[in-house]
Amino acid sequence: MRSDETPEAEARPADEGPFGALGAELRSLFRAWGDDPGSWPAERFDELALRAFELQWNTVPAYRAYCVARGVHPSTVGDWRDIPPVPTAAFREVDLAVAPPAEADLVFRTSGTSRGSGRRGRHRVVDPELYRAALEPAFERFVLGPGSRPLVLSLVPPFGRGRDSSLAWMCDDIAARFGAPGSGSVARGGEPEWAEARALVQRCVADDVPVCVLGTTLAVDAWVERLEARGEALRLPEGSVLMDTGGAKGRPGLRRGAIVERLGRALGLSPEDVVNEFGMTELLSQRYGRGEAGVGRSPPLLGPPWLRTRALDPVSLQPLPEGEAGVLCHLDLANAGSVVCVLTEDMGRMRGGALESIGRSPGAPPRGCSLATAELLDTLG
Amino acid sequence: MDGAAASGRPFRVPRLERVDAETVAREVRAAAIEARRQLSTAEVAMAASRAALRLSDPEDPAGADALEILAAELSWPEPLSRETLAGMARGWTREALISLVDRELGGPAALDGWTTSSSAALAGRRRRAAGPLLLLVVHAGNVPGVTVTAALRGLLVRSGVLCRAPGSEPGLLACFARALAEEHPLLGRCLATTWWPSMHEAPWDAWVKRSGKVVVYGGDTAVAGVRTRVPAYVDLVAYGPRLGIAAWLPDAPLEETATALARDVCAYEQQGCVSPRLVYAVGREGRELGEALSRALEREVARLPRPAADVATAVALRSARAEAEFAALAGKPVHLEASGETAAWTVVVGGDPLRSDPLPRFVRVHAVDDVAELERLLAPLEGRLQSVGYAGTVGLDALADLAARLGACRVAPVGTLAWPPPDWLHDGRPQLLPLLAWTEWE
Repeated sequence: MRSDETPEAEARPADEGPFGALGAELRSLFRAWGDDPGSWPAERFDELALRAFELQWNTVPAYRAYCVARGVHPSTVGDWRDIPPVPTAAFREVDLAVAPPAEADLVFRTSGTSRGSGRRGRHRVVDPELYRAALEPAFERFVLGPGSRPLVLSLVPPFGRGRDSSLAWMCDDIAARFGAPGSGSVARGGEPEWAEARALVQRCVADDVPVCVLGTTLAVDAWVERLEARGEALRLPEGSVLMDTGGAKGRPGLRRGAIVERLGRALGLSPEDVVNEFGMTELLSQRYGRGEAGVGRSPPLLGPPWLRTRALDPVSLQPLPEGEAGVLCHLDLANAGSVVCVLTEDMGRMRGGALESIGRSPGAPPRGCSLATAELLDTLG
Repeated sequence: MDGAAASGRPFRVPRLERVDAETVAREVRAAAIEARRQLSTAEVAMAASRAALRLSDPEDPAGADALEILAAELSWPEPLSRETLAGMARGWTREALISLVDRELGGPAALDGWTTSSSAALAGRRRRAAGPLLLLVVHAGNVPGVTVTAALRGLLVRSGVLCRAPGSEPGLLACFARALAEEHPLLGRCLATTWWPSMHEAPWDAWVKRSGKVVVYGGDTAVAGVRTRVPAYVDLVAYGPRLGIAAWLPDAPLEETATALARDVCAYEQQGCVSPRLVYAVGREGRELGEALSRALEREVARLPRPAADVATAVALRSARAEAEFAALAGKPVHLEASGETAAWTVVVGGDPLRSDPLPRFVRVHAVDDVAELERLLAPLEGRLQSVGYAGTVGLDALADLAARLGACRVAPVGTLAWPPPDWLHDGRPQLLPLLAWTEWE
């Protein structure tokens, strides 16, 4: 187990300069929310978002040019909804960070192929402590519950040595921050060691220590399939929880309801013990939803108050009424060190502050007989 | 069964169970045999042409239906539908059909009866040709009207034609089938068209097994899917996706080239494999052409408005534009020209020189030093090029030779790329010959 190898991110020297002051304030507010949700100053959301925007306008030249091309200047923006969103595609092309690179920076990369439209995006995190401050209280609130210290069993390969997903870093951090001794990844070689996972679970069962399983939806499904094939059924101790993320990635038959049901049989988890995470490389805050969901959609996903999500009309980018499906645009104050407002290629709808994710827009459907070369070129390498 | 057209508009077709599919196949086959007895190929060409041309005549009820269908299924504005149908109809005239038979077979004689060769080597031998009694044509998406063209080819080789229409726009072919039945009831019985979801096995099973040949139009995945269903003893004629490119040669005028390219790009929403998606400025500034092209596209879009983008296209288009815009902002040699926040047209100069996107009215322009550089660049696309367009004459011979080496199907001046001649070599081969089998009487 590798909890001792969780990346040790150092805070950028000091809380100096405009970002440092904002970053320090946000860290403090996020942590305070973790201790007392009532402490969150909702009325300051606009002010904090606009400060972050102004900082980014001043320090991220590409973003400033993008705004200028649209006639947007910090002095003309008085509402967080008017901050120009940065399409996720931009992360594939440009370094969007408010400070020059430093050794302590974290660099997260999206998955993707080398060519065509699937090139990898890159998010440089200039204040890993701000990321921690956003991640940990929200994870504790929405996944673990206050004070829970389970054995964290991650099916995700650890961060580092060529593995640069934000998910890997997140899982390592959760294991280090909340995990009982022995917590960490069981996928150190890249693939989960199922025998090790099984042995850990059995020990937890014997010791009555709750388990928190972290993994991609596909990895969780692979584990369940393996247990089913062997006719095994584990019974995780009371207080255990499983967090999956990433969805079915187009794999047919991998419906959420079926996953939750099979997790119940294979690991003894109730639907309420199964948490779906909605996160992305370009955002440093996450949303979480418990239990089952309708066909082709997630359970209602809740997030911390510094993350606000809107569904926009995909063509006009005008905000849509509550409950109407559109393309998702997030304003995440945890992104103060890069760009706070991110326009995704994900579809979803908002209901009562909860996000119902429908999934990634499938890309332009091939129509007619014109060849799109991306796939062909990826094949050729 | 329920389907949804490209616009998202739902449609319903009868569920074709095995017994129904078999009955339809039997009836179409019987009609094809009867039509061979009663009609000459010239008569088939005349009647089928009459029916097809009605689709491009807005004054005709069938033409009005066709416009309504394209509006409902593809959300196409009327000018775009009219122009597309009119362009397609150039290949639907009796003259075009007869000249196709002439070009490929030297005339209809071999389709109508036994012919004697004038060659001494074949002395005493007689030959005739025919398509299979049942020809299955599977459409997984194409330019509207190609469904009709494909059905006409099948009828011309005297086959009974079974069609799986594209789910994205199933109506136009049905409209043609109705017009054909009105024009010539017997020929009308030689054509059946419907749609079914790909997972519904009954019609696949019944129609594939009874067809002498199967023709498929679609993307690589669709073609591969059909291939797995076709028994080894049945010929498969596949029209997969290909790419159209164009070269702006050193002596070509700027504005005229841009105007011609804009016409090629806007024709039927750039859905055709003949439509240019990548344009190479040979020995010239790509940006100069990109800017001229953007002006020309703006004019062309005013003449030929494009349909509202669907959700997936809108999201993908924004992503592709953002990528180009931020690449430029990051100091990379990329330049974006676009129709503001609307989806009307997009030109990207620079970036990956081989990348093309399945987005409407979206062109990428790249500068190359000369045709030799173009050859090095295009090598990965060998066998996947349909049209190579050109403007100018300097280096044209080298460009044409390059096109031939890469297996491109046609070399044509810009401004004509979207509308190849009716007897063109589709995917580099004759249109009728692959559908035929020959019988020799020794």
